[in-house]
Amino acid sequence: MAGKKYNTPLIDDLEKGPWPSFVTEMKKAAKKSEMSNDALGHLEKCYATKKGYWKHGGIVGVLGYGGGVIGRYSELGDEFPGVAHFHTVRINQPSAFFYTGKALKEICDIWDKYGSGLTNVHGSTGDLVLLGTKTEHLENIFAEYSSRGWDLGGSGSALRTPSCCVGPARCEWSNYDTLDLTYNLTQEFQDELHRPSFSYKFKIKSSGCACDCVAALARADLSIIGTWKGDIKIDQAEVKNYAKTMDIKAEIVDMCPTQCISYDGKEMKINNKECSRCMHCITKMTKALRPSGERGATLCMGSKAPIVVGSLLSWVIVPFIKLEAPYTELKDLLRKIWDWWDENGKPRERIGEVIEIKGMRSFLEAIGVAPQPQQVKEPRKDPFMFYTDEDMAGFKAKEAEEKKTGKYKF
Amino acid sequence: MAIPQRKTDVGPPHYKQFLPPVIQKNYGKWKYHEVINPGTMVHVGESGDKLWTVRVASPRILATDTIREQCDIAEKYCDGYLRYTTRNNVEFLVSDEKKLEPLKKELTAKGFKMGGIGYGITNVVHTQGWVHCHGACTDASGLVKAMMDELYEYFDSKRLPNKVRLAVACCVNMCGAVHCSDIAVVAVHTKVPQINHETFKNMCELPTVIGSCPTRAISPDPAKKSIKINAEKCMYCGNCFTVCPPISIKDPERDGVAIVVGGKINSLRTNPKFSKLVIPYISNVPPRWPKVVAAIKHIVEVYAKNAKKHERIGEWIERIGWERFFSLANIDFTFQSIDDFTFMRDTMRTASTFKWS
Amino acid sequence: MEIAELQNKIYAFCEAAKGKKKLKEKDIIKGVSEAEGVPGDEVKKAMRLMIDVGKLMYSYGGGASSVEIPSEEYLREKGLIK
Repeated sequence: MAGKKYNTPLIDDLEKGPWPSFVTEMKKAAKKSEMSNDALGHLEKCYATKKGYWKHGGIVGVLGYGGGVIGRYSELGDEFPGVAHFHTVRINQPSAFFYTGKALKEICDIWDKYGSGLTNVHGSTGDLVLLGTKTEHLENIFAEYSSRGWDLGGSGSALRTPSCCVGPARCEWSNYDTLDLTYNLTQEFQDELHRPSFSYKFKIKSSGCACDCVAALARADLSIIGTWKGDIKIDQAEVKNYAKTMDIKAEIVDMCPTQCISYDGKEMKINNKECSRCMHCITKMTKALRPSGERGATLCMGSKAPIVVGSLLSWVIVPFIKLEAPYTELKDLLRKIWDWWDENGKPRERIGEVIEIKGMRSFLEAIGVAPQPQQVKEPRKDPFMFYTDEDMAGFKAKEAEEKKTGKYKF
Repeated sequence: MAIPQRKTDVGPPHYKQFLPPVIQKNYGKWKYHEVINPGTMVHVGESGDKLWTVRVASPRILATDTIREQCDIAEKYCDGYLRYTTRNNVEFLVSDEKKLEPLKKELTAKGFKMGGIGYGITNVVHTQGWVHCHGACTDASGLVKAMMDELYEYFDSKRLPNKVRLAVACCVNMCGAVHCSDIAVVAVHTKVPQINHETFKNMCELPTVIGSCPTRAISPDPAKKSIKINAEKCMYCGNCFTVCPPISIKDPERDGVAIVVGGKINSLRTNPKFSKLVIPYISNVPPRWPKVVAAIKHIVEVYAKNAKKHERIGEWIERIGWERFFSLANIDFTFQSIDDFTFMRDTMRTASTFKWS
Repeated sequence: MEIAELQNKIYAFCEAAKGKKKLKEKDIIKGVSEAEGVPGDEVKKAMRLMIDVGKLMYSYGGGASSVEIPSEEYLREKGLIK
């Protein structure tokens, strides 16, 4: 290739050492692509000057969609023409990141034709990210991928590409079908994903159990965490096997947060009523312990990174919901959630922030969820609270009832 | 070749076509799994079927040729099936035990690194950094590479009391779940932004810019048709820069990184936790950020030496107390570690029962 | 209201905001719906048709998405004008 050869001593150093090197990857791509070659020179300059040179994202995209492409331009377009435009294309990944070689190679072939040959497999949200192309290629890229059954992912003030853990495909702990739910919701809400109509981004992430392998609780506006409502079944023969290599008292009994497990050296017992389903014992003794009974999930909402007013972890909203196709209850709830957010959110306010501003009550009432102790770590500590006329009427009616029955009801 | 006709709203392909037959057969009916070594685990179905997973490290930025190489290996040993993890590793899925050792042999020969399963350190969740982000105040990929070179033994062999999840964010936007990691590096600006008043009026909406500030440090400057920033209130979050390009906040000599520890996302034993600030500032020193790498390794080693089996870093620190952590780790406690943003009420101590060191 | 007429109203609404305020989808839907007495869903449908053919476009800036009248540059890139 006739491209300019850059002298890159700083980033060359990052080709040494045991961990796989992203610089080696960039050089591999640079052999085939002028864009990647210039990206190398561009990055070396960042390292030399300790400063980034990318401009704010510009307005690029494919006709009719408002997301899936992130505009990226360099301030140094004259010096590094290959990265003057260096846009990102997000391809919506299949549930739980399963592929065949054939499918992935097809993705690569198209990308080599129109882009830098550089990718992120995957980006933080879950999309398969294609890194670096020019504006004039975007429509062709979209036509090539979409005609082969691949669509763009979300970006901007829209539903972001939903993602999930490996779930029932390869895990014994999943309490619902995370892959199917993710596929189903993604298909149901294609419009919300491609055409930004929200106040800000909205992320949905689905984990099959409290291990939360997609970090849903920390970074999804709707975090769906699998759980169950029955007893933990114990295989005592397997408990005996574990006892040969494990200090069951120290590692399981004493580490149980609700102290609901006992073990007398022979038999393990669980007081299931006290269990909070944290998964510690199950993950450490997976051959011996497994949940039983009704399966479903806890719906939590609101988590986000620090911008703007501090990080949030998701709050419990619906303690238990069954999740079976076609997931009508969840979809109806989501639509109510978005309607309330639409009514109350200002631009760039995540739903967690809007709930904080408007109050959890406003939100719960709008989506039709009753207040429950499972939603809070502890009740409020201050005495400044709202009483509506309906609340008062309710309290008075309860007292009138008590007068009739002669029995207090708290 | 002619460009095919575009289709809209097709969504992702159905995942089922990418699931190996052994998964289709045992879907939702897995009985247990065992970690054979940090690079290999086996899942066993109620049917007795077995599926071996070999996990391989990835730099996340992959050239298409590397993906093709991964595909070739999957085609040779895994009937073409492979998957990626949330933390960007690639997993080869083997249903025929006879192919397991030859697969590993070829992976080793081709320089792929196996590991990351169980109680050690796996791939680092990170952001784009200087490679591709406009807001970055460090390079995430370079930091990750430097960190993992130094911590590599925890990926492929050496074990810890529990997992240590690492993350790097190239600014306080913290794309990814960086704020709930065992140890995370978050890049920070440390200086009040500069405003280009000339371009401000054409490029920015005044109310949006004022509203973008979490500390209400921004007010209108009617004379200049622009804004002013109150230096006493500004915490350099850069959100105004995000909504308004004429505001610039990058400063090569002042931009650097902070280190936060003790976060987790799962609910095992204790509730999910945010990571907390322990080292407020280290200068950017590319290409290898030696002090940052040394700090992380040091914290990992202090944890390895002191924590009980199954305790994550945050759980261990909560048991011994943060005052003990700072003394054990020999880290200076600074003003930056006392919250003066949104969490002060929750984080100040309200009892005289603490340890002297 | 005929869809073509509604689309003209939507276009005029966007033109009036040009350079002053970044309009979100919902600003247009609400604004036009109230001004013209047309249900929001109809405004949305008419607006989407305009976006599909490049009469309007989704834009992004300042960390948020908006809808605006496309630039000539955009129309040229999409092959909608020469």
